[in-house]
Amino acid sequence: MIAENTQTQMRKGILEYCVLLIISRGEIYASDIIAELKSAKLLVVEGTLYPLLTRLKNNGLLSYNWVESTSGPPRKYYLLTAEGKAILGQLDHTWQELVYAINTSKTNLTNS
Amino acid sequence: MKKTLNINIGNSIVHIEEDAYEMLTIYLNEVKHHFSKNADDYEIVTDIENRIAEMFGEILSAQQKQAINIEDVKSVTAQMGSVKDFESSEESEGAEDPLAHIPPYDGVKKLYRDTDQAMVAGVCVGLGHYLNIEARWIRLAALISMFIGGSGVLAYLIMWIVIPRAESKSEKMTMRGEEPNLRGFANSHLNPLMKQSRGFIAEFFEFLGSFIQGAGKTLFKIIAVGIIIFGSLFLLFLIAAVAGLFGIWDSNVYSYFPVSMVNEDYLSSLVIAVFIVFAVPLLALVLFSVRVAFNGRAINKTLSFGLLIIWLGGVVVSIFYIAKITTEFKESAELAQVTPLVARKTIFLTVDKTRFFSKEDSVNYQIESYNKNGRKILNDHHGPFDEPRNVNLRIEKSENGKSELVRNYSAQGKTFEAALKQAQNIRYEFVQKDSLLNFSSRLQLTKKASWRNQEVRLMLRVPVGTHLKISRDLEWFLNGYNYWDCNEDGTAEFTEWIMTDTGLKCMNERKDSDNE
Repeated sequence: MIAENTQTQMRKGILEYCVLLIISRGEIYASDIIAELKSAKLLVVEGTLYPLLTRLKNNGLLSYNWVESTSGPPRKYYLLTAEGKAILGQLDHTWQELVYAINTSKTNLTNS
Repeated sequence: MKKTLNINIGNSIVHIEEDAYEMLTIYLNEVKHHFSKNADDYEIVTDIENRIAEMFGEILSAQQKQAINIEDVKSVTAQMGSVKDFESSEESEGAEDPLAHIPPYDGVKKLYRDTDQAMVAGVCVGLGHYLNIEARWIRLAALISMFIGGSGVLAYLIMWIVIPRAESKSEKMTMRGEEPNLRGFANSHLNPLMKQSRGFIAEFFEFLGSFIQGAGKTLFKIIAVGIIIFGSLFLLFLIAAVAGLFGIWDSNVYSYFPVSMVNEDYLSSLVIAVFIVFAVPLLALVLFSVRVAFNGRAINKTLSFGLLIIWLGGVVVSIFYIAKITTEFKESAELAQVTPLVARKTIFLTVDKTRFFSKEDSVNYQIESYNKNGRKILNDHHGPFDEPRNVNLRIEKSENGKSELVRNYSAQGKTFEAALKQAQNIRYEFVQKDSLLNFSSRLQLTKKASWRNQEVRLMLRVPVGTHLKISRDLEWFLNGYNYWDCNEDGTAEFTEWIMTDTGLKCMNERKDSDNE
């Protein structure tokens, strides 16, 4: 139970970071985000992405444009705001720290 | 074959099969229920719906088909993830029990009839679900109550009518007190054992129901065909009757009672009007039956409207003439003719059943006057179209000691003069021959005339002490005396009466009449 909890915590944080990374490359449609996350094997079900996107948007990290679609209703295309970019920079930094922390922990583990 | 529905999801129209729709509805309700805690959730749900719509669109174009089926819904919802998946991705946030913020299903059951496990109509099983009792106990109770004044039968019928059948999957789940969610849906949906567990009695009732439905239709058709046959025959008969009245038959028809009432000038118009009044509804009935029996198309609107107009016309004309004829009976007149008779101690009264024909009549009927005065013997009263009794006889004592017969002719007409004329037109014959008084059985009209209630009332006055021997045939005409009581053994050809101071007395009173 505790293991599961930690796993989801870790996944959750990394998922957010990955979503921001994917969007930082340019305007993107939710389905394409899902496709990327799936190929990265980070996302199991699509339903979890929408609450995440909405939360990021409400926190001012994302915004979206309505883009007309050739097939069907208009789609939401997401992009990073300036604040989002700033936070992504912070997260990059945090990620480096985490990688360092993990690596250090692991090398210490193998050394001892 | 499956029923499909059109739904609008994410602003696109999708054809979806009924069971798939039910499953999707349950899924979306769960999602909505899950995302209903803060203001942004509406947006999330909209995003999810849009995405589902998009996936449907992809499935439809990829598989080249028209409608979403239940497998498609399953794959889409699997891809989208269940509420449980959403919960696990969020549970860390508040570090609270994920189930805590979902209000537990309150387990409200609803009372439905469970036709899947029904013996008859699923009332007992439904009650069992509702009350959490095994259906067999309720059935047992129902069976026992049927023998207690049959109240169980009535209660069962009432519940059958009042309690709705559990039709959709979610209704069936609510009936069992299960939360109508996807898991339950899958359970109950994929459980084909339910169907097999139906009792043979339920199947029997189902069979009976469909049989009655089918037989009912057949019965209606048989009735319709019967109406067509008899209606058509009756129509033909009506047409023949009208044709007959207009001369194919002999003119004698006019002298039969109901027709004889009508003035000859009105007759043809009235006959046509009456014919329309009867024939048009009959025709409509036949046409309607044809439609029922052969699933034909409805009667043309103009035709039915035309028929209605014609019928109304017929009704108006009929009423007009009937009213006109009714006024012909407004006034009545009568005149009396007194004929002295030769006094006799004993008088035999008989009826002459022969009928006098005028010369005209003889020509009409093509009767050879082989008999003098154009007489022919007819035994014709009590005939089917006989006129109302128009001859009657009273016997009274004579005040002046002389015998006489008074013939009182009466008739009706529009005015008194017309009535009097009709009365004068009446001729009534009787013959006295020694002690025999022979009455004619009917009155005659010297000129041809319509029936205007022409009547002749005969009054025979005889002195006190006169013996009367009255023929049995005359019973029909006798007024005011119980002839039957005087007929000693019921077979005598003549009965004997005597005129007294107080009136006519029977000589041989019927014995058993004293006992009454």
